[in-house]
Amino acid sequence: MGNDRRERYERFKQKQRKKLGLIIAGVFTVSVLVLSIAGILKPDVKFSEEENRMLAEKPQFSVESVQSESYMQNMEAYTADQFILRDWWVSLKVRCDLLFGKREFNGVYLGKDKYLMKTLTEPDEKNVKANLEAISDFADRNSKLDMHLMLVPNAAFVMKDYLPSGAPVRDQSADLKWIQKQLSANISCIDVTRALKRHAEEGVYYKTDHHWTSRGASYGFEAASIDLGIEEPVEQYDIYTVATDFSGTLASTSGYHSAKDTIEIYVPKNIEIQYLVSDSDQEEKRPTVYNKSALKQKDKYQVFFGGNHALVDITTANETKDRLLIFKDSYANCFVPFLLPYYNEIVMVDPRYYYDNVEALMSSKGITDVLFLYNMDTFLTDNSIADVLVEE
Amino acid sequence: MIFSSIFFIFVFLPIMLLIYYLTPFRGKNLVLLLGSLLFYAWGEPVYVVLMVFSIAINYVSGLELEYFMETHDEKKAKYAFITTVVIDLLVLGFYKYYGFVLENLNAVLPFDIPYHELALPIGISFYTFQTLSYVIDVYLGKVEAQHNHITFGAYVSMFPQLIAGPIVRYSDVEKQLKHRSISREKFGDGVMWFLQGLGKKVLIANNIGMVYDSILALGASNTSVLTAWIGSFAYTMQIYFDFGGYSDMAIGLGKMLGFEFVRNFNYPYTSKSVSEFWRRWHISLSSWFKEYVYIPLGGNRVPTIKVIRNLMIVWGLTGLWHGAAWNFIFWGLYYGIILCLEKYILRGVLERLPNIVRHMYTMVLVMFGWVLFSAPTLGRAASYLGTMFGIGGSGIVDGTAFYYLKSTFILGIVAILSSTPLIHLRMEHMMCARMRHRQVLFVAAYVAVFVICTAYLVNATYNPFLYFRF
Repeated sequence: MGNDRRERYERFKQKQRKKLGLIIAGVFTVSVLVLSIAGILKPDVKFSEEENRMLAEKPQFSVESVQSESYMQNMEAYTADQFILRDWWVSLKVRCDLLFGKREFNGVYLGKDKYLMKTLTEPDEKNVKANLEAISDFADRNSKLDMHLMLVPNAAFVMKDYLPSGAPVRDQSADLKWIQKQLSANISCIDVTRALKRHAEEGVYYKTDHHWTSRGASYGFEAASIDLGIEEPVEQYDIYTVATDFSGTLASTSGYHSAKDTIEIYVPKNIEIQYLVSDSDQEEKRPTVYNKSALKQKDKYQVFFGGNHALVDITTANETKDRLLIFKDSYANCFVPFLLPYYNEIVMVDPRYYYDNVEALMSSKGITDVLFLYNMDTFLTDNSIADVLVEE
Repeated sequence: MIFSSIFFIFVFLPIMLLIYYLTPFRGKNLVLLLGSLLFYAWGEPVYVVLMVFSIAINYVSGLELEYFMETHDEKKAKYAFITTVVIDLLVLGFYKYYGFVLENLNAVLPFDIPYHELALPIGISFYTFQTLSYVIDVYLGKVEAQHNHITFGAYVSMFPQLIAGPIVRYSDVEKQLKHRSISREKFGDGVMWFLQGLGKKVLIANNIGMVYDSILALGASNTSVLTAWIGSFAYTMQIYFDFGGYSDMAIGLGKMLGFEFVRNFNYPYTSKSVSEFWRRWHISLSSWFKEYVYIPLGGNRVPTIKVIRNLMIVWGLTGLWHGAAWNFIFWGLYYGIILCLEKYILRGVLERLPNIVRHMYTMVLVMFGWVLFSAPTLGRAASYLGTMFGIGGSGIVDGTAFYYLKSTFILGIVAILSSTPLIHLRMEHMMCARMRHRQVLFVAAYVAVFVICTAYLVNATYNPFLYFRF
């Protein structure tokens, strides 16, 4: 009797599974077809404002591209990137992550007050050692110049209290101490950690972007000015807000878009500085370090110098003989405006894009001071500094 | 191409199925073969030649063996058999173990042999084991040789199980290759299996897997005891849902094509002993080794010392099959030793213990095993195991541990529940409920899994597949 019932139940189960399976299969088939056909009909989007990156385009079919597998990889990226209603799917994913209790998305922490902070990368030890050696050698070769290394700690370290509680983070102070030990005596380190930590609650980093804010840079400058030998630094600034709806790279990579940032620029009060800027991408000289048109685009941090260039040259009318060469990443872009009143000329080199001879550049410009300015996270993963400093 | 990708689900699969269903039955195997070759070439445009070569060799050898056996030329049959097996193993050995062997030789020899590490052809371990099963079974007269090269090619290259199993033995699908039923109901069943597997892979495995990776990256000195246990728990869950999910998807795709594959996993984490665990984990692999290595060696019908030898050979090989690295070999031997102990010493003890203790005993050993299996080097495995006992770590509990505890808690509970039959039984109840709305809920659950998986795949940056390395 029991067996009979069980058998009947089994048969019923099979029947139900078939019935409901058909419905599920119907929904599955229709949605796959609708979504993929909609994806084909929808015109391709070249650039995603939401994610601030170029989306994959339909790859060209060729024997070489098939052999190297790039055709297949690009095709897969193309289908995912051009998927219908992509932005909606991305935000759905983030909402599910939050529901699961995750506070880390694609290598970005979501901290208190909607602060997004990049998780710090494991250093690339081989490259770091090579870079430090190259910097030391360079400092020894040019021991007459005033040389400094300024490594700006990152938000996740400075604003530890804002991290999701207990989230692991690298000790960047230990990193800096270690780096100091490796370097030649001909170059000194500037530590702005304490200055930034003291003001951590004032918004020294953007909430949605991995850069420091102009405010952060102003505290950095205050702390660095003594080391840089600047005798009477400006203390009063006019602060202008140039954007209130900035959504930076961290919002893009995490897909978390709930916060917006404000971009400010600091202009020294009561001083008129005359200067001209040109860069390797735009030779024409202009009287400002700001690029207004960047405020219309997604990555508004590019308002500073219009982004990164292999070489930027700023000549001023200041009465001083000091000429500064900066090796830098994008952290320098909002910092350099603070240096304008104190140098006759400032040359910025971005080793990631610069391939010419540095020594020749230095002698032609009559450089007197050198500053290496990076954020710690980029510095520990950089692989370009050693190459640019190599002796000819 | 992996199943859990936008391209597979929204481009390859619909086109493949459409052509497959529209083709009359006698052409279906050809469509399957061509589709599978394209599927494979998509990820391995060069090594697809190797697979075609493997198909050709084993196909011809099957016919040859049959001819020799019909003419009672046993010597030649034996010779042909051994040649084919050796060729199959050499190809596998060359692509999988060449770099490893030379690296170790160089460490021992006074001079260095220069070598160039080869990229591992995807799925080679799986399809080689399939062709081996065919050749061996033909030689032993268990199955007839396949005379149709398209059918044979379709068997070896069949895309659902091509790159990550289950290892389908020829004898299991021989009849289905000739005749199989394709119906809407079977397609529906297949879709359910596929979505179930997709959910396991994308929602559970991918999400919980990131935890282990970042804990491993902390380094031993920053890992507290609790953190280490959370990490190994996360990996334990990741590998099961990753591989189990992929097997489910394979079974589902097989059903859509009209095939019935054997189950590859049967709730392994509910086992009460390690021997039971291995009867429930990657069933197609363990039964392959049992059938083709353990039993031919004499199995357990020989003196105890030889049984132990046989077990150690089988488990050493199982470890080696998983990868050309020492930690895989040690991982295999680790299980060999545990299984010997269970067989001869622990069995009596275990049977007298309460179930809960037996579960814990099994899971702890399995978790140690996964640490050995997953760590990048043996040294790191040792230091990780150390931190699980508080050796060389940062105390019992720290803030980091709480961070990981919080971020895996919900997912961890979902994972634990899904690794037992509980959720499955609940779903079956729902399916058979009299009330209409519970049935609607049942359908909605599948649809929700599909929608959320799509969201994750559109935005996929972390979508590794662990068993690709094998």
